[in-house]
Amino acid sequence: MASPTTRWLPRLRLSYRAQLALMLAPFLLGLLIFTVLPALAGLPLAFTDYNALEPPVFNGLANFSELLRDEVFHKSLGNSLIFIALATPLRLVGALGLALLLARRGRGIGAYRAAVYLPTVVPDFAWAIVWLWILNPIYGPFNQFLALFGLPGPAWMVQETSARIAIVIMLSWQIGEGLVVCLAALRDVPRELYEQVAIDGGSAWRTFWGVVLPAIAPVLLVFLFRDTIHSLQANFVASLIVGRGGGPNYATTFLPLYIYTNAFSYLRFGYAAAMTLTLYAITAAVLYLQYRVVVRWRLGFRDVD
Amino acid sequence: MSTDTLPRPPTERGPRLGLIMRHLVLIAVATLFLLPLVWMVTTSLRQAGQPLPRSIDWIPQPIAWGNYPKVFDLIDFARFAANSLLVALSAVPLTVVTASWAGFALSQISQRWRLRLTVLSFATLMVPLAAVWLPRFILIKEVGLIDHRAALVVPALMGTSPFYVMLFLWTFVRVPGEVYEAARLDGAGAFRIWAGIALPLARPTTVAVAVLTFVYYWSSFNEPLFYIQSTSKMTLPLGLHALLQLDRTNWPILMAGAVMVTAPVVVLFIVAQRALSQEYRGGGWFGR
Repeated sequence: MASPTTRWLPRLRLSYRAQLALMLAPFLLGLLIFTVLPALAGLPLAFTDYNALEPPVFNGLANFSELLRDEVFHKSLGNSLIFIALATPLRLVGALGLALLLARRGRGIGAYRAAVYLPTVVPDFAWAIVWLWILNPIYGPFNQFLALFGLPGPAWMVQETSARIAIVIMLSWQIGEGLVVCLAALRDVPRELYEQVAIDGGSAWRTFWGVVLPAIAPVLLVFLFRDTIHSLQANFVASLIVGRGGGPNYATTFLPLYIYTNAFSYLRFGYAAAMTLTLYAITAAVLYLQYRVVVRWRLGFRDVD
Repeated sequence: MSTDTLPRPPTERGPRLGLIMRHLVLIAVATLFLLPLVWMVTTSLRQAGQPLPRSIDWIPQPIAWGNYPKVFDLIDFARFAANSLLVALSAVPLTVVTASWAGFALSQISQRWRLRLTVLSFATLMVPLAAVWLPRFILIKEVGLIDHRAALVVPALMGTSPFYVMLFLWTFVRVPGEVYEAARLDGAGAFRIWAGIALPLARPTTVAVAVLTFVYYWSSFNEPLFYIQSTSKMTLPLGLHALLQLDRTNWPILMAGAVMVTAPVVVLFIVAQRALSQEYRGGGWFGR
C-alpha cells in the first residue's frame, strides 16, 4: 500500500483532520473566490457607474431606471425567455426520448450512444461556424436537404422568428449531457417496478407514464433546473457568430450577449451588472415556475420525504 | 449488473423484424446527429473559390486537401494549437489533483458536513455563468493576469467544476471504509492514503475527469475572448474567430479550420469512451 513514490509526502506531522482540511482548501477557497464572491459582487456593482479603469462611482438607481427605458434590453430579455420556453422542453424531451431508445443494450449500442453524444463535444466556436454554414439560406446544407423533399427552407438568419428558431435548433443537437443523465436515471429504476406492471398486464406506454416517469422525475427536475441555467448562457457564442452579433434586428440578442456588449465593448460594467441582477431574478422565477409545474403534476417525490 | 432497463414490449411481429426495425430507427437517429459533422468535413474538402453548388454534394469533386495547409498560411494555427495544448495540459493535472483531493476529503469527513458541502457545491452550479463574467474579469484584472495564458488555467486550482469533485466523491464513498482503516492504523496520513490507495482505485473516474477537463479548456471560447488580447497568446477558438474575420464566406477554409479544432476532441472522446466502457463494464454510460 504505502508505495515508495509517496514517501516524500507528509514529513511534518499534521492530524488526519488537518490534512483533510488542507485537501479541501483549494476547492472551497476557489469556490468562494471564483464563484460565491463574484456572484455576490454583482449586487453592489449594479448601483455604480464603473468602467473598470477608474474606481466605481455610486449612482443610485440610475442603472435600473435606464434598464426600464432600454428597448434593446427589453427585447433581449424577451428573447431569453422565448429561448428558455422553446429550448429547455425540447432538450429535455429529446434527451429522455433518446435515452429510452438507447437504454436497452444490444449490438452496437455503444456506437449509437457515441454518435448521439458526439455533437456535444464539438467546441462551441467550431459548432457555431458549422451552423453559420448549414443555415446559409441558398447554399447551406439544411435548406438543400429540405429541398430534396420539395420543402422550401426559410431564410434562416434573415427573419426574426426563423433566426430565433435556428438558434434553438442548433443547440438542440448538443444534448449529450441530458442523454447521460437520463440513461443513468433509467438504469436506477428498480426492476421490481417493471415486473409489477408486467404482472398487471400494462402496455409499454402505461409502464412509461405510470412507473418510469414518476421514478425518474426528481432527476429530471434537477436536470431541467441545470439545463435552464445552462440555456441562459449557452446561446452566447451562437448569437455572436451565427446571429452575427445578435441580429437580425436584435432578434438573437440574448441577455448574455447584451451583458457582454455593455461590459466589454462599451465598458459599462455597472450597467451590465444591473442586467446580471435581472438574470438572477428571471432564473429564480423560471426555476420556481418549473418546480410548481412538476409538483402540480405530482410526478414522483414519493421517495422524497 | 445489467443495463437492460426496459422490458421488451410484446410484439406480434417476429423478434427478427423487431430487431431490424430497431436498428433502422437507431441508424436514422445516429445519422441525424452526425449530419452536421459530416457536412463540416465534406465542405472542408471542396475546392475553395469555386462557385457553390445548388444541391448537396456528398463527395466533393475534386477532393481539395489543400484547404488544410492553407489554414496554416492564413492564421498562425500552429501557435494557437500550442497555446491551447499548453493551457489544457496545465489544467488537467491541476484539476485532477485538486478535484480528487476535495472528493477524497469529502468522503472522509462526517456525514453532516459532507451533506452541507455537497449542497453548497450544487448551489454554486446553479449560478448563471454570465452573471459572474464581469466580477471574474475584474478579479483577473486586479491580480494582473489579463493577457496572460495563466488566467485561463485559474479555474483548475479549484478543480475546474464542483461536478468533477462530486464525481470523485461518488467514487470514493463506494470504497469500503476498512480499506483506508488498515492504512491509518499503520500511521499513514490523508495525503498518503489519497496517493497510495484512493486515487489508484479511482482510475476510470480519473480518466473521465481528465478527458472532460481537457475538452473543456481546449474548447473554451469565452474566457480567452475576455482575458487574452495579444495574437501570440490566443488559443484555437480565438484563432478560428480570426479566420472567420478574414473571410466570412470562404466556407471550405473555415470548415477545414473547424475540423482541425474539433478532431482532437472527437478522437480523445472516442478513445476515452472505449477505455471507460471496458472499465465500467455493464454499468458504464457508453458501455454495452
